[in-house]
Amino acid sequence: MSLFSQAFRPVGSTRADPVLVALWVALILVAVIWIAPFVFIVFTSLKTNTAVMGETAFALPTDPAFSNYAKAWARGNFSVTAFNGVLITFVKVPLGVFLSAMAAYALARVPMRGRRVLFLLCVFGTMIPFQVMLAPIFKQVNAFGLINSYPGIVLPYLAFGVPYQVFILYGFFSAVPKELSEAARIDGASHFTIFRRIFLPVSLPALSALFVLDFVATWNEFAMALVILQDPQKWTLPLGLMAFQSQFQRDYGQLNAAIVMTVLPAAIVYLMFQRYFVAGLTTGAVKE
Amino acid sequence: MAKARLRPQTEGYLLLAPALAVYFLFAVYPMLDVIRMSFSSWNGLDADSSFVGLDNFRAVLTTDPVFWGALLNTIWWTALAVTLPNLVAFGLALALNQNLPGRSALRVVFYLPVIIASIAVATIWKWMYDPFFGLFSNLLTEWGWQGLVADWLGDRRIALWSVFVAHLWQSVGFSMVLFLAGLQGVSATLIEAARIDGAGRWRVFRHVTLPALKPTIAIVFVLSVINSLKAFDIVYGMTGGGPAQSTQMLAMWAYTQSMQLGDFGKGAAISVILLAVTLIVVIPYLKWTMGQSEADR
Repeated sequence: MSLFSQAFRPVGSTRADPVLVALWVALILVAVIWIAPFVFIVFTSLKTNTAVMGETAFALPTDPAFSNYAKAWARGNFSVTAFNGVLITFVKVPLGVFLSAMAAYALARVPMRGRRVLFLLCVFGTMIPFQVMLAPIFKQVNAFGLINSYPGIVLPYLAFGVPYQVFILYGFFSAVPKELSEAARIDGASHFTIFRRIFLPVSLPALSALFVLDFVATWNEFAMALVILQDPQKWTLPLGLMAFQSQFQRDYGQLNAAIVMTVLPAAIVYLMFQRYFVAGLTTGAVKE
Repeated sequence: MAKARLRPQTEGYLLLAPALAVYFLFAVYPMLDVIRMSFSSWNGLDADSSFVGLDNFRAVLTTDPVFWGALLNTIWWTALAVTLPNLVAFGLALALNQNLPGRSALRVVFYLPVIIASIAVATIWKWMYDPFFGLFSNLLTEWGWQGLVADWLGDRRIALWSVFVAHLWQSVGFSMVLFLAGLQGVSATLIEAARIDGAGRWRVFRHVTLPALKPTIAIVFVLSVINSLKAFDIVYGMTGGGPAQSTQMLAMWAYTQSMQLGDFGKGAAISVILLAVTLIVVIPYLKWTMGQSEADR
């Protein structure tokens, strides 16, 4: 009961508060509703079609049909989409965070003309949704002859990732004490060196937060991939899942296995690095 | 000096250049290009396009049979999306900010749908809405309420709201985390002081907590509006805009016009209208926050 011994007590009170107990029960109920779809999906993914049609929704899969996963993997072309997803994400995310960090350092710490305007342009970019202008992005990528290519998707991803990351890192770099960089300046270090030797190491927590946030966002992105990657051999997982859904929607077990395989990597990354998510989201949005 | 040094300003521009180059080429330029496209006629294949003035806008606003329906859906969706999920999120955040056992586990549960790909959320809910074997028909039948089983995504009167429920499930966690961070910033000493002065729960909330949360509420509001205007994946994945265009929204209609029907001019005109609406929300907000941070100095 040690978990509960201090709970339900308002600050400065020694007695448990009945209102807090009621609140807690309500929270648990909402949480059960929130988690139910995941349970349903995982259960269905382990059932044969006969079981899906004959049993109640939350009946345990007594004879788990793991073969659903193998079949969905093969039919959904997962070896191709997973490879593309990994490749695109593992190139885009580190590269994007690094380019943004360079730019944010310059805007925050190097005196130069026009940096206020450039920073404002960045802040502005954090608020512009690219989903409303897929066609002009398609046209621009096409002008470079990059439709159906990895660079064709990575470049727009980079472009739309830069503003938010620069915005976050700008705040972070601006808060680094002046003494740290000025001593190095006097010793004759260039800005490149100061950035690499001092600012990158001290901003590791912020960089990690951006890293995991961007990993999930890139892994999950659908709309831009839809217009740029039209060749199934270049598809990412969300595109593969969409195709699977429209082709095999009556193979319930396999469809749900495909859903699980698509979302699992992002879910694992989230569960492993959750504190970074909160940090990455809130430093930008909620200023003290 | 061992080697020639660049001027600091030059170094700065060099550090800035790569990020700025991709940003301008693949985000800023398309945004300007869409405005130019909205005044021209182009089918996506020909080498050149021709200037047609306001024809695209005129066509969208007068002869397009879907535009006004899609606009109305977008307005409804936005109005609901800024209120309903955020009220739920606010309630959850207030509760999770109390001294309750297992609250970090609960926070993980509510946030989990946020990190799931929207297209997967669409697939999950489409399956749950399956009128034959899906979760809802299954549960309702089991409870003896067969009469309530409906074709949630196939009935044009309710399809949009069915899609919205999926969106609610996915988006609550995001606002909740922002509210929680805002609540953490509310001064505990201030609350304590109000309590000692004899203020009850409601008055503390009304006069201490709520005013301190103003910036958080503003950002949640703006982000919800932007997210609603760009609603794409979840509609595309669940209904594709159907049945009979009853779930069509502007972002998807812009995509359909350009990429499916090959009318880039009309698609661009719809995009420009959407961008304009976005700016109406974003620019006052940016002005306001910039003013706030200037005032802080």
